[in-house]
Amino acid sequence: MVEDKINSNESEGAFNDFIEDRIDEMVDEILNDGNFDHFGDRNSDIIVDANDIIPPTFTYGDEGGGQGQGPGQEGGGKIKFGVPYKRFMELIASKLRLPDLSKEGNGKIKEISYAYKTFGPTGILLDKKRTFKRALRTSIATGSYVPQEDKWDVEIRRKDRRFKIPERVENPKYKAVVFYMGDISYSTFGERLEMEKRLVNFIQSWLDFNYGTNNVEHRFIVHDMDAYEVQQDEFYQVSNIGGTKASIAFDLVYQLAFHDYSVSSTNFYAFYFGDGEVFGNDSKEITEILTESMCPVFNRIGITEVLPGRWSRLNQDLSKNFSHHPKVRLSKIQSNSQTIDVIKALFGEYK
Amino acid sequence: MRLINTDPELFELEQRVKHHAKAMNRSLPEMRFFILDRLEFASLLEKHVYPTSPSNIWEGKKMINKKLQIESGQESGIYYEVVQTGNPSYAYLNNTNSPMMQASVMAHVVGHCEFSELNVLKDSNMDRTEFIMHLVKKVDNGRFQMGEKNYLNFWNAAESIIPLISPHSQFNLNRSIEDDTHHGQETDSTVPEEKVKVLLRPFSHTMDTLLKTSSNEQIWQEELQKKTQQEQISRQGYRLFAPCQDILGFLKNYAPCSWSEKAILNYMYVTHSTHDFVVRTQIMNEGWAMYWEKKIMMELFKEKAVKGIIDYAKTFSGVCLPRPFFARNPYHLGYNLWTHIEQLYEKGKISLDYWEETDQQKKNDWDIKPSNRPIQELENLVKTVTDYEFLRRFLTPELIFKFHLNRIPKQQAKGMGINKNDIVKEDDHWSWIQPKMVKNEMLNFFTHFYRPRIYIIDNDFKDGGLLIFHRNDYRKLRKDWIRPTLANINFIWKSPVYLISGNTLYSYSNHKMDEIEVNEVSFDQVAEKLQNFEKPVIV
Repeated sequence: MVEDKINSNESEGAFNDFIEDRIDEMVDEILNDGNFDHFGDRNSDIIVDANDIIPPTFTYGDEGGGQGQGPGQEGGGKIKFGVPYKRFMELIASKLRLPDLSKEGNGKIKEISYAYKTFGPTGILLDKKRTFKRALRTSIATGSYVPQEDKWDVEIRRKDRRFKIPERVENPKYKAVVFYMGDISYSTFGERLEMEKRLVNFIQSWLDFNYGTNNVEHRFIVHDMDAYEVQQDEFYQVSNIGGTKASIAFDLVYQLAFHDYSVSSTNFYAFYFGDGEVFGNDSKEITEILTESMCPVFNRIGITEVLPGRWSRLNQDLSKNFSHHPKVRLSKIQSNSQTIDVIKALFGEYK
Repeated sequence: MRLINTDPELFELEQRVKHHAKAMNRSLPEMRFFILDRLEFASLLEKHVYPTSPSNIWEGKKMINKKLQIESGQESGIYYEVVQTGNPSYAYLNNTNSPMMQASVMAHVVGHCEFSELNVLKDSNMDRTEFIMHLVKKVDNGRFQMGEKNYLNFWNAAESIIPLISPHSQFNLNRSIEDDTHHGQETDSTVPEEKVKVLLRPFSHTMDTLLKTSSNEQIWQEELQKKTQQEQISRQGYRLFAPCQDILGFLKNYAPCSWSEKAILNYMYVTHSTHDFVVRTQIMNEGWAMYWEKKIMMELFKEKAVKGIIDYAKTFSGVCLPRPFFARNPYHLGYNLWTHIEQLYEKGKISLDYWEETDQQKKNDWDIKPSNRPIQELENLVKTVTDYEFLRRFLTPELIFKFHLNRIPKQQAKGMGINKNDIVKEDDHWSWIQPKMVKNEMLNFFTHFYRPRIYIIDNDFKDGGLLIFHRNDYRKLRKDWIRPTLANINFIWKSPVYLISGNTLYSYSNHKMDEIEVNEVSFDQVAEKLQNFEKPVIV
């Protein structure tokens, strides 16, 4: 007997390779039909549900009955396997040939602050409340404070003193901030809403993957004639029928970026979704904001017309100044199958 | 994996078990015991009880699954006994079992090893495990020659044909194919047939000529048949003269494969062909093993080599739990049948005198010591019959009742659609069905093993195609698996492949499957045509 240890390592490896190929096929499928529903929660393993593999052979069909009596086939159902989120995103990135964004910007600076979280017997700032509580307890124990006997003395001894002790807290500065802008004046429901959700979902996942989940802040701005910040859920829910002005959303985003963050140490991204129907000199104002304010500090600005109609002209107007711009990307999406093209347009590099 | 002599306690037990087996006059091959840990055990089973196997995704899949089950506590990883019979036999002990359990496993293995040595199907052969290790090496060499992708593709295609092995079928290779050379098969399954002694007859040429009733036409036909037969053999090297049920065996020998591909088919055939022996002898085999296990264990308890007789009794009765006929427990049925037969022999109840006795009272009180020892008679049975004959001869209606083979939970009996007339007795929980029906069903199992019966009936169908025949048993084949299975056979045969099932002829070639309606032919018609040197099916 040659073998010292009986194992199936080689066969397990062969099966794992087989599964790798399956995952590769699955990523291709996702990319082909633009279906990002597999994503689930960000940063969690992607559970892949595939048909179980059984060697086919001549066997009785279901209609014959009595299957339970024979040497039944195993499974016949599904096999599940988990793909680490990072691995999955790497596959997506390599398939789409997306650049590694984390190289951009200076994102490793940390904000240092002090929080008073612990308390000790020595220090500078006396915590009066805690000190008094301890002194009261001691006085009761020593018998100097007995209200029934009309003794009211609370002695504050050295041991009872409690001081606030500051603790150094290092908060990473946001490596990236992403602004999502949505036009709520157009009919964002049904297919249009699904497309927008998918795109936003991918952008969130992609940037989280590049900078680390905790290092990216996602902010959502909606606008009609006015622009204001909302929570993510509301981003898809609020709607209004009436006039619209997109430039105010861009202006608000710039203001937020400028006032809320350190411009020198943050990677800014902004993505606009709308039907592209703009009025008056809205396009001109957007061009000005982009050129003068946003382009110098933002890493990437994406403007996507979702199911554009015959009156949509935002991209058309902007393309005069921003076609093949290194930072401003213009795209249109008419169907789910174009999701990948839009992602490539938003994040890919011009050759 | 370590040898048993690395554990002094188990080594001592092994010696005692072997001693008692010898004292009981058992015919045993060399038995080698090894101790494995839980995962090694799981892996060994996936390798079909051989220590090595070529890399393949199916073993990998099952092992990964099993590891998950063991880790999540869904599978204990404790197995009763695992043995690869042959000479030497290799038996594997699970290191998590208690010494009493290990002793019972070793005693059980004694029964299996002897059964394989003695049984008419001759399962035991020299150096089986070593031979498999040699085949694994050949497959590994072939794998490098084929390249990983081609190797996996071929292996996966061949997996489809593994269930189509029938080395002991009435229509196995020996009984369906004749060839011009003796094939030096690297297999163990063929049983050397006894040479038929040709009786000398008085010879008179004149008388023969006068008595010959054959017409010239007949003589000419016979000559033509012989000529066709010779031509076919000389052209292809072999000829089908009956349907061949051993499809993997056929492809292994006659498919146009490279030596690397043949190595894979050969490995698969040799590792899986023993399953046919197991399924045909399981009741006798397990019963024989339980019988000797108990005998040896009693000796071990007597001499206090092991402790825990109560635990052993519990384990034994757990293993020998009665089950209804469709979920038959070979341990229970086999053990009880062997002990019953032994009692019959002890009292001389298997004799002509006993059968010819007409007085029932005398028959009941019959106790005539036989000339042979009962155990010799039991050994003769092992040497001459398999499960089918074993049950046919000895499973009486009384025993069917006694072994609870016809007792089914009432609710289940309803679900199975059993006719009310077939139920002979009922209480609140159980229904007892006709014992005759049970016996028939149990015997029928050995004709189909609950699997479709598939045969190769023409190796030159439509100019080089392989024609496969599904013997009609009024059940349809699983439709969505016909195409991938034919594709896999086509991958191995490398020419078009056809399947007749009912009145449909499926054909597969160039990644395309077609089906056309044909006149249904019976199996008997096909067999007859083959015997008459005719094409079994012409479309």
